[in-house]
Amino acid sequence: MTDQDPKSRSGSSRRDFLRGSSLAAATAVLTGPAQVALDEATGAEPEVKVLTGEVSLTLKVNGEEKTCKVEPRSTLLDTLRHRLDITGPKRVCDRASCGACTAIVDGVPVYSCTTLAVTCTGKTIETLESFGTDANSVPHAFHQADGLMCGYCTPGFVTACKAFLDKNPNPTLDEVKKGLDGNICRCGTYMGVLEAALAAAKAMKGA
Amino acid sequence: MPWPENPKLIGTRIPRLDGMIKATGKAKYPSDEHPEGMLFGVMLYSPVPHAKIKTLDLKPAEAMPGVKAVIGIVKEGGLVRYHGDDIAAVAAETEEQARDAVRAIKVEYEILPHVATEPQAMADGAPEVVRGGNVKKGRATSVGDADAGLAKADAVVEMTLNVPVITHVCLETHGLTARWDSKEKITAWASTQAVGATAAELAGRFNIPVGDVTVLTEVMGGGFGSKFGADVWGIAAAELAQKAGKPVKMFLDRVQEHLAGGNRPSATAKVKMGATKDGKISGMIAETYGTGGISRGAQFPLPYVYAVADNKRTHSDVFLNGGNARAMRAPGHPQGCLIMESVVDELADKLGMDPMEFRLKNLAPNDFRTGIYEAQVAIGAEEIGWKNRKARGQSSKGPIKTGYGMALHQWGGGAAPDKQVTCIINPDGSVEVRSATQDIGTGARTILAIIAAELLGLKVTDIKSNIGNSTFPPGQASGGSTTTPSMSPPCFAAVSAARDALFKKIAPGLNAEPGDLSLADGKVLVKGEAKLDWKDACRKLGMMPINELGKFEEGLSSVGVAGCQFAEVSVDIETGVVTLKKIVAVQDSGLIIDKLTWESQVYGGVIGGLNYGRFEERVMDPTTGVMLNADMELYKLAGASDMPVIVVKAYETPEMKARGVIGIGEPPTIGTAAAIGNAVANAIGVRVANWPMTPINVLNALASAKS
Repeated sequence: MTDQDPKSRSGSSRRDFLRGSSLAAATAVLTGPAQVALDEATGAEPEVKVLTGEVSLTLKVNGEEKTCKVEPRSTLLDTLRHRLDITGPKRVCDRASCGACTAIVDGVPVYSCTTLAVTCTGKTIETLESFGTDANSVPHAFHQADGLMCGYCTPGFVTACKAFLDKNPNPTLDEVKKGLDGNICRCGTYMGVLEAALAAAKAMKGA
Repeated sequence: MPWPENPKLIGTRIPRLDGMIKATGKAKYPSDEHPEGMLFGVMLYSPVPHAKIKTLDLKPAEAMPGVKAVIGIVKEGGLVRYHGDDIAAVAAETEEQARDAVRAIKVEYEILPHVATEPQAMADGAPEVVRGGNVKKGRATSVGDADAGLAKADAVVEMTLNVPVITHVCLETHGLTARWDSKEKITAWASTQAVGATAAELAGRFNIPVGDVTVLTEVMGGGFGSKFGADVWGIAAAELAQKAGKPVKMFLDRVQEHLAGGNRPSATAKVKMGATKDGKISGMIAETYGTGGISRGAQFPLPYVYAVADNKRTHSDVFLNGGNARAMRAPGHPQGCLIMESVVDELADKLGMDPMEFRLKNLAPNDFRTGIYEAQVAIGAEEIGWKNRKARGQSSKGPIKTGYGMALHQWGGGAAPDKQVTCIINPDGSVEVRSATQDIGTGARTILAIIAAELLGLKVTDIKSNIGNSTFPPGQASGGSTTTPSMSPPCFAAVSAARDALFKKIAPGLNAEPGDLSLADGKVLVKGEAKLDWKDACRKLGMMPINELGKFEEGLSSVGVAGCQFAEVSVDIETGVVTLKKIVAVQDSGLIIDKLTWESQVYGGVIGGLNYGRFEERVMDPTTGVMLNADMELYKLAGASDMPVIVVKAYETPEMKARGVIGIGEPPTIGTAAAIGNAVANAIGVRVANWPMTPINVLNALASAKS
């Protein structure tokens, strides 16, 4: 069994995770209906202590060390947007369904809306504001192919696309579709997005 | 004055002006704004579908850490009428604190009985959402003699079709960031489709002159018809800001966005339609209803597109405890289209006639669109390979069935003839066009710049297209495909006037008459010969910029389009899964200004229609009255892997271009779901009467056909 297995008994159970005092950050999130439901389900009086204090945090974002105060429950997305004024990543679904908040943490694209900021200390965080903008860049390809309309999903698509192409420099159209399936656009710009991704792959090779 | 005969820029593929700032994350959306000292606003909304607010105690929230202002929106004794209805609002130093404070507000609800679905709302003795009953009958319409028309039919079909409520799912939720610049002056960064109307709403609510309200919408994250004002939450943000003495940002969370941010009403139609052997529709009787939640708005056009000389119809709006309907991309038309086109398809099958041929036989004889449809259908049929279509249910033997379907649609649009644009030519050579319109992702900003650049012989990137500011000359709201036809003529007029004023100023210095001058490639020409660089010409203005206001002119824009769409699908009859293989959209919209953003609009419309046809559905729980899928995982929208091949064909003949500019936002989203439904029926040999074309709806249709 791996720790990816939801039925694993070897690691922390969900309840242990929620109740563990060392993981107070997670419990602090559950002060509303979810906590009530949990207490009802277990028949227990609430044992958890709600943390509302702020902690000082240093994050390495786009090559710069940035310090701010956040609550342990603050997400990476909200920390970037509200505390550090890095507003490229967008809050859309706020629960890891749409990809608009995508940031690259230690080289891996993550949904920053469901990543706690306190788990990102010591890691390298990249948002699309740091990407190149020359003729071989992903943003340039999106612009030229009109892979955006209102543009609110675009930061997530551009970031996911960059992370995908860094690992898959010669993708087929089907691979691009699968690679970008974690993102949703409401204006319906997928045709331009797919064209942009293929064009960027081609341009990056030529660079 | 006509559009240029041989344009250099108009009609070409020009990347949008704000594309790079959007693609680099540098564009500041209203929800990205963070004025100094800003507080975070959070709404408290009803967790129940219908209740009287017995008590509302805001004090516990006021005592919470970081809280600077709390306001009640509904009063004690007042009602909440749907899951998501507004109750109170909080502003605090951090969003986390504001959320905690909202949870601390004490509300005692006297739960009232609810109706959350149409059958519940229409049942005998159902609790009333509005006085006088939940079913509000509209005026019955009757043309000719429907019964006589049906009596002479050689084939008659009768069927009931349903399409559910869907929500707008704007990616940037509704909201604004409000800052009082003084006691009687406010700036709001609003995610809106109408900066002017939003400013007027704020001015009215706070009783200040509209000139002291500045609404800014540089960019915004999608509206689709649902964002035409400040709304309860926008007013709440401004009130909280006033109370706290600090700016407040208030954007809905994803759940309330689904619940309260607007929706497209459902439609149910019981239709009886007949045709004679020669393939002419002879009569139609339709009884229809739909729900816009606590509001009206569920009316839709029927009959649609086709000529039905003898028809009658009744329609009712059904009220229930759900968020109120708002305009959504081509309001009413997608519902009318998928209902009409399904019945037309069934009738063609029953007559044993090719449904394309049947459609062409029933176009309105005296409508300008008829010839356009005929030409478009020929193009679309060729592109999709209609000749490969087999008769209904005659697909291959295995479990994977393939099929083809089509649909026609139409839209009006047209211009509001009272909008204005200013063109400023500065002595440094920079050029600005200004208007209080906005770009909601459609490319409006770029279109104004293209027009200016075309007339001034400059590059599009030389033009500053300054919109999204309510203090500029009045511009069109972004809705109904009216923005481009409303704004292009005054832009043309303003830039033409500015150019002529420039000519008048500089002609004497060139020993020429103003009429001898022209502009091309960044140069001023005298009698066709380049004499002066643009910048040098502008320098001759000295200290005084040219500033010309343009108003609407006739003859540059028009109204009314036709379009057709074709779909090729495969359906697995064991699992009910529909796979789209190809969609073809043929669309006219008069003179196209920017082919690139035009195509994006058509692709986007098709994909919106694809979502409507295959995935979208607001699911209400009859027992609790709450929306079960107010999120983005169970409220399904297409992703990249769901994309079929999509072919977009502009129907842009010289006659079409001569009509002038027409909007393109609505038309291409109308026919897609209808075409998909018809393709599914063609593939599996059974009509799926309930949208969307999900596995369960497909399997149910197959099962009921067997039994």
